[in-house]
Parts: sequence; structure tokens; C-alpha cells
Amino acid sequence: MSNEDRQLLKFNGLAQAYGADLFRYAMWICGNEALSKDLVQETYLRAWKAVDSLKDEKAAKSWLITILRREYARTFERKVPKFTDVETVVVPEDSELEPDDRAEVQLLRQGIMKLAPKYREPLLLQVVLGYSCQEIAAELDISKSAVMTQLFRAREQLKERLQKDGVTGNVHGLY
Amino acid sequence: MSMDFTEFKRRIGAEPRSGDPELIAARDLSPEHRETVIKAEAFEQKLERAVDLPAPSDLLERITSVTSMEGNKRRNWWPVAMAASVLVAVGAAGMGWKMSQGWESVEAYVVDHYRHDGDKVVAMALEGGPADVHAMLARFDLDATPELANIVSLIKYCPTPEGKGIHMILDTQNGPLTVIYMPDTHVTDREMLAFDQMEALLIDLESGSAAIIGADSQRIEDYYAVIHDSIVPLPDPS
Repeated sequence: MSNEDRQLLKFNGLAQAYGADLFRYAMWICGNEALSKDLVQETYLRAWKAVDSLKDEKAAKSWLITILRREYARTFERKVPKFTDVETVVVPEDSELEPDDRAEVQLLRQGIMKLAPKYREPLLLQVVLGYSCQEIAAELDISKSAVMTQLFRAREQLKERLQKDGVTGNVHGLY
Repeated sequence: MSMDFTEFKRRIGAEPRSGDPELIAARDLSPEHRETVIKAEAFEQKLERAVDLPAPSDLLERITSVTSMEGNKRRNWWPVAMAASVLVAVGAAGMGWKMSQGWESVEAYVVDHYRHDGDKVVAMALEGGPADVHAMLARFDLDATPELANIVSLIKYCPTPEGKGIHMILDTQNGPLTVIYMPDTHVTDREMLAFDQMEALLIDLESGSAAIIGADSQRIEDYYAVIHDSIVPLPDPS
């Protein structure tokens, strides 16, 4: 197998392993499906051009996320898109959730959209991408202590939103 | 020294599934600690469901298509991909039209593009849905005036002779019209093309060019001014 063939296999592996997670992350930072698909495609285009430089595949996820965040900042440095599509994603009726739980999930989505970026971004890195506090600190170039504070406050704000707007009694019991 | 409850709550709130041995050990310090862990886990499960947005079905196709973009120098990828995974084969099939790029002229591109997916995109636009015109154009440092933005029923990115461009469907009194914006290209302004009972009117813009495409009965020239005057540079934020 030639070097180019190996690179192609490596690239396809990255697409399958991380494509969907990167899309979810993009959706939560820009809120628009078309723009999110475009961001992910641009991310992988840049990754493809530099795939030779990826020596440690364990670092691939953070490498891709760093590219995506830079691409987002570069693309939307002048105009931040409005959230439009996340709100339209409905929790499926046939999911195992009870109707009240589905309503809570929708409330949480609205809450996440309304979080300030400094709270939303570390939370998404943690929940969508499985980053540890240390990894988030490295990605955002802030201290681990600051990350922990932001994560704690993000969750507190979401819980407060559920308590305020919650549709069921068990919401109060949870927190 | 054991962790006090306030600090325990803060750390559980920041990282509910932390593997830190100190935090794990603290979970059983009191019923209050245990209850905090149970509540945090219940909330976390809801949070995970909330962020779990479905990925579009064409995402992998779009991602893998990048290997054939940018005048790809890796020419041997197709047979390898066939052997390696169905995923790549799907990507390649979707890119057949893009790979045929190398159009002799903007005119040839406009005709080829419309024949490729023009009718399909018009049909998609008829299904409705909000179009985020401003955000899509901002990528090119452009914006749309209300005269244009208010009649766009669908907008998407598309390949053009000089890279990524925009494909829009306008909901007009003359019926749905297709507009393709092509950055970094220049055309003979108001040149008219005819093909397949369709007409395309080329418009030279301050930045790039555009084509309006519609059936020969749709009087596409009525919309020359709308396109020419409504795709404008993005205002400087300062």
C-alpha cells in the first residue's frame, strides 16, 4: 500500500470517527445546519491537506476541533450567525423518554442556546466531545480552575432555567 | 483531609463523571453527598440527550468529497477507496459532477450546473423553510438587501469555477428562479444564454458574478436589477 493510500485510509477513519461529533459541536456553536455542514467540510478539507502532519492519531480529535474553532472564528469574525436550526430539532416521539422528559430536553436545548459563549463552549467540549477539564483548558487556553468554574455555572444556569420553566414536579425534585 | 461539601458540590457540578479518586472517595461521606451525585447523574443524562442532535445523512459524503477537491494530486484514491470502504465510494459518487469541473468558461459552468441539480434544488425550495441569507453571504464578505433577502426561499453553497459559491432559489411573481453567485469570476454583463428551454442571464457584480436562471417564459430579465443592486459588500463593523 502506498503512502497516499494509507493517508486516504487514515482520513476516512477520521471522517467516520469524528464527523458526527464535529457536526454536533458546530451546530451548537453556530446553530445553523447548512453552516455547520460547511464548517465541518472546511475542517476536513484543511485536515486532508495536512493529514501527513498528524503523527499521533490519539490527538486527532483535538486537532480537528482546533481546526474547526479557528475556521469558525475566521469565517464569522465579522458576523455571527443567528441560531435558527437547533430550535427546530424535535426530540423524536418514539424516543424512550416520557412526554414531560421530552419537554425538559427541549427546555435544556433552549437554555444551552442562551448560555453565554464562555459557558456554552466548555460545556459542549465536555458533553459533546468528552473532553476532560484539563483538555478544555488546553483548547481554550485558560486555566483548569476557570474551566471548572465555567462548567459549574453553566450547569447551574441550566438547572435554574428548568426550575423556572419546568413542566413537571419532578424537575424541582431533581436539583 | 476530606473535601468539604461546598467544594464537593462545585466539583461534581463541573465534572459529574470525573474519575478523580479524591472525588470518588468523597461520594460516600454522607447521605447528602450521595444524593448530590444521584441528582447530578440524572441531570447529566438529560443534558446528553439535549445536545445529541442528529447528523445529516449526507455528512460523510460531504466530508470524504474533500479528497477530490482542490485539484487533488492524489490520483490513485478511487480504486483504493473502493476496496477500503463503501463510505468513500458513496463520497465519490456524489462528487461525480464536481470532479468533472474544469469548465471552459463561466457560461459552460452555468449550463452544466443547472443541468446537474437545478430542477432538484427548485423542488427543494418549494418545500419551504427559513433561508439564512445573511449568514451564508457573510462568508464572502457580502450581504443582501431586503429586496433580495425577503424573496430567497432556499440557499446553499455550491462549487463554482473559482471555488465555493452560492445557489439560491428566489420566490418571485414569475415563479421560482435560480440564482448562482460565483465569487472571483467576471462575465459579460447582461449576456443571455439559452439551453434546454431555459434561459440564464449573466450579471457582472462588483465582487464576482451571478447568473439568474429560469424557463424562457419567466422573464428573468425583470430580476436583473434585484440581483445587481442587492448583493452588496458587508458593512464594515467599525
